[in-house]
Amino acid sequence: MRDIDPAPRSDPAESDESIHHRIGHLTRTLHNALRELGYDRELMDARDHLPDARDRLAYIARVTGEAAEKVLNAVDRARTVQQELTEQVDSLRSRWQAVAAYAAGGRSCTPAGKQLIDETCEFFACVGGQADRTNVILTDIMMAQDFHDLTGQVIHRVVALAQLLEEQLLKLVIETSPPEQRPRLDQFKFEGPVVAPEARDDVVADQKGVDDLLASLGF
Amino acid sequence: MTADPRFLIVDDFSTMRRIVRNLLKEIGYGNAEEAEDGVVALSMLKASKFDFVVSDINMPNMNGFELLKNVRSDDSLKSIPFLMVTAEAKKEDIVQAAQCGASGYIVKPFTKATLEEKVQKIMTKQA
Repeated sequence: MRDIDPAPRSDPAESDESIHHRIGHLTRTLHNALRELGYDRELMDARDHLPDARDRLAYIARVTGEAAEKVLNAVDRARTVQQELTEQVDSLRSRWQAVAAYAAGGRSCTPAGKQLIDETCEFFACVGGQADRTNVILTDIMMAQDFHDLTGQVIHRVVALAQLLEEQLLKLVIETSPPEQRPRLDQFKFEGPVVAPEARDDVVADQKGVDDLLASLGF
Repeated sequence: MTADPRFLIVDDFSTMRRIVRNLLKEIGYGNAEEAEDGVVALSMLKASKFDFVVSDINMPNMNGFELLKNVRSDDSLKSIPFLMVTAEAKKEDIVQAAQCGASGYIVKPFTKATLEEKVQKIMTKQA
């Protein structure tokens, strides 16, 4: 760093101007070096791939979000079933306890009948406990869906970073490479799930699109 | 605090809103509404009476800090308990929340027991 002389501190405005001048000089040198070394093409490639990377991350966020919602819906339905089961068991249990009390006081029930009544009441009590345990498990399943919020926030940050990087790279590319010399983005032969179908006309958005296309071809 | 306090859950992720709402119901608070950011939340708070706010911090349009400041600077809202439930774990954020008047602060991921403990603690203070 021999070229860089310590700037005089006496005049802040002059010092700022000197720093800006040097930064401009360094930037120009960097641009020239990138062009001479052929890195402008690589910068262009890197920049062109960033929107695709952002779309794929957004796709991950959307699909995992939908999965989390499905799980929460299933948990809600299971809770409703559990609640109904618990209420039915409580109702039957109290009625059978009344029968048990009646049977214990007289001869209206055989010993085998009494035993059956007692075991039924015990079973109903057991079902109540199992319903409680199932509810605890359902809560655990529900809480595990917080991954969507947590990973989603990370993805949003990475997407924002990629966007910033893309903008900076684009500026660099524009300054180092004439537009007519920009390389075209090589298309992937197999690109996996389509992450932004609405922006394209060479893909279908859903199964209906597949079926319609096949039907139009006579299949 | 009323017998059936009305909660406002503020989070930009619908998954988290549902989780908090279900947890509140499990711990005995089934009266809850949802808002997806601070702007919507503030509008709801001004439009009708709420007894408790559970809010995320990192949200678009108006974040949790801004919402909290708006709530605390509004004479009709300033006494509402305001619990932060957020992934922001930086000390400076926690300190800032306290300085802005947050009633409590929970870092995600959290458990049902944590939410219950914080809510009950705030409820007890309010009583």
